[in-house]
Amino acid sequence: MSKNIITTPRYGKSFKDKLYLPAIYEGCKVTFKHFFTNLNDSNAVDTLEYPEEQPRDITERYRGLHRLTHRSDDTIACVACFMCATACPADCIFIEATEREDGKDEKMPKKFSIDTLECIFCGYCVEACPCDAIRMDTGIFSLTGVKREDFVLDKERLLSHKGAFGEEKSCARN
Amino acid sequence: MSMASIIVAIIAFVLGALLALLTIPVLVWLERRTAGLVQDRLGPNRTNIFGFRLGGVIQSFADVVKLLIKEEYYPSHIKMGKWLFMLAPIITFSAALLAFMVIPFADTLVIDGEALRMQPIPVEFGVFWYLAIGAVGVIGVIFGGWLSHNKYSLLGAMRAASMVVSYELPLGLAIISFIITYNSVDFNAMVEFQSDTFFIFLPAWGILIQPLASVILIVALFAETNRNPFTVAEGESEIVAGFMTEYSAMKFAMYFMGEYVAMNTASAVIITMVFGGYQLPYVSTQMLLENFNYFAYTLMIVVPVFVWWMIRFMRRNNRVRPSVSTDSGRAYETKVISIFLVAMAVIVDVILLYLALSPNALATQIAVTLLQIMVFVIKLMAFNMFFILIRWTLPRFRYDQVQTLGWYYLLPLSLFNLFITAIVVVGVNS
Repeated sequence: MSKNIITTPRYGKSFKDKLYLPAIYEGCKVTFKHFFTNLNDSNAVDTLEYPEEQPRDITERYRGLHRLTHRSDDTIACVACFMCATACPADCIFIEATEREDGKDEKMPKKFSIDTLECIFCGYCVEACPCDAIRMDTGIFSLTGVKREDFVLDKERLLSHKGAFGEEKSCARN
Repeated sequence: MSMASIIVAIIAFVLGALLALLTIPVLVWLERRTAGLVQDRLGPNRTNIFGFRLGGVIQSFADVVKLLIKEEYYPSHIKMGKWLFMLAPIITFSAALLAFMVIPFADTLVIDGEALRMQPIPVEFGVFWYLAIGAVGVIGVIFGGWLSHNKYSLLGAMRAASMVVSYELPLGLAIISFIITYNSVDFNAMVEFQSDTFFIFLPAWGILIQPLASVILIVALFAETNRNPFTVAEGESEIVAGFMTEYSAMKFAMYFMGEYVAMNTASAVIITMVFGGYQLPYVSTQMLLENFNYFAYTLMIVVPVFVWWMIRFMRRNNRVRPSVSTDSGRAYETKVISIFLVAMAVIVDVILLYLALSPNALATQIAVTLLQIMVFVIKLMAFNMFFILIRWTLPRFRYDQVQTLGWYYLLPLSLFNLFITAIVVVGVNS
């Protein structure tokens, strides 16, 4: 037991530590070094010039903007069961259901909109969906607009988003 | 009052106001860019006017516009003393601004036998003015914190007030030891004293004559300006944002700018008392006036070399990375600024050559004054840089640590230093 205990040395008791000025000098050495190397060649700073350079390392687990998936015959996978809207803690999913005419299922959404100004991107809608109809694998990390209405994604917009990581069609409904 | 004295007084005042006010956006920009570079990022560098981004300075001016047109919001619980609530940031801001106004930018200009001080407020008791006005700034903080009717604000204001009280004593005692050493309360006389040499070869700068008092002065001034590591007045993690929690838009900006003006003032006081003010080391004003042509020839070499270095720096850094296709006008900006810099260098060189070849007493004096103002501004900016880099180096002190440092270490040390100074000065003089 006792051999697993590591005694960490305590600093701050010696005269040099109490004087504090040597520590300030050491700290300044680090900051000055970073400052002057980066000032000398600011292009060597390991950062992304964002709007021009886009990030290339978005992982599959990244929760991006939502999308509505299709079945293998390109019809909508959603059956308007309201599971996502019920699970949503921010109450930002608005669905209006209608009868489905193509014989695939009973219901489909007439309107399906997500207010991204209220959305907290928790992913509960994706978890709740029994049909794999809503996904957040688009890899879209930025959404810009000039008025509030631009941020309410309607059904057409959600259907137009493509999956960024291969799985394009709904896995549950075909 | 001759014509020349009025003109010099106006110029000194305008220069002081410009140095205090125009440095605010520059310092805000400098702080953000420095923070970026220290932390391996870039900082603001996009905002531009017609493609001229000047390294991102324009961002600060955009921020000014934003703060000016922002909604003025008053918390509804502030009923009594609303006018004082609005006045409080102005007190802090103007105290810092007025304290700056006694700093000499250059040596006394002698025109027709009339000595004209290059101080915005030409007084001979500069140190007392600074001590009196500089401490007023915290009253604005106390008013702001008290009248916000908010416990966090009140706590922040109380912390700021007690910290200023604890650091005013070591600051005053350190300044008194400087007064004893320099035998004057006049900032200008202090700078003149520092243009001498000391121990045969060292410049007689305060930091070498009075190292302990200098360190105490610098630490106490860091505390007075409420900057890191002494930001106990506005700890985001402990007391929300301290005394400025309830302030918005331009009222907040007044506090914000007050901090930068205070930092600028503190830098000016430090370089005036400790780092030789407007003087170059080893070079007194008399020497500059007598050997002006040599200095002119030296400057004629230094200015083009500096401009060449500047252009090279700009060509290396004012460009986007190869991975980005658009240049967004950076090459054009570099070209225009390069031409401007070269033209400036040529004009300065021609003027210097003319002054060196045909000596004219008045013109030489004015040129020396300009040179000293340049040295002052460079030193001021260098010390502001030091303030900023310290901010990104040291973590914030805990409140009890701040008080311990003030009362248990700095106060006895400054008393001890005062004692030693008195003994040495009496011993040397008798």
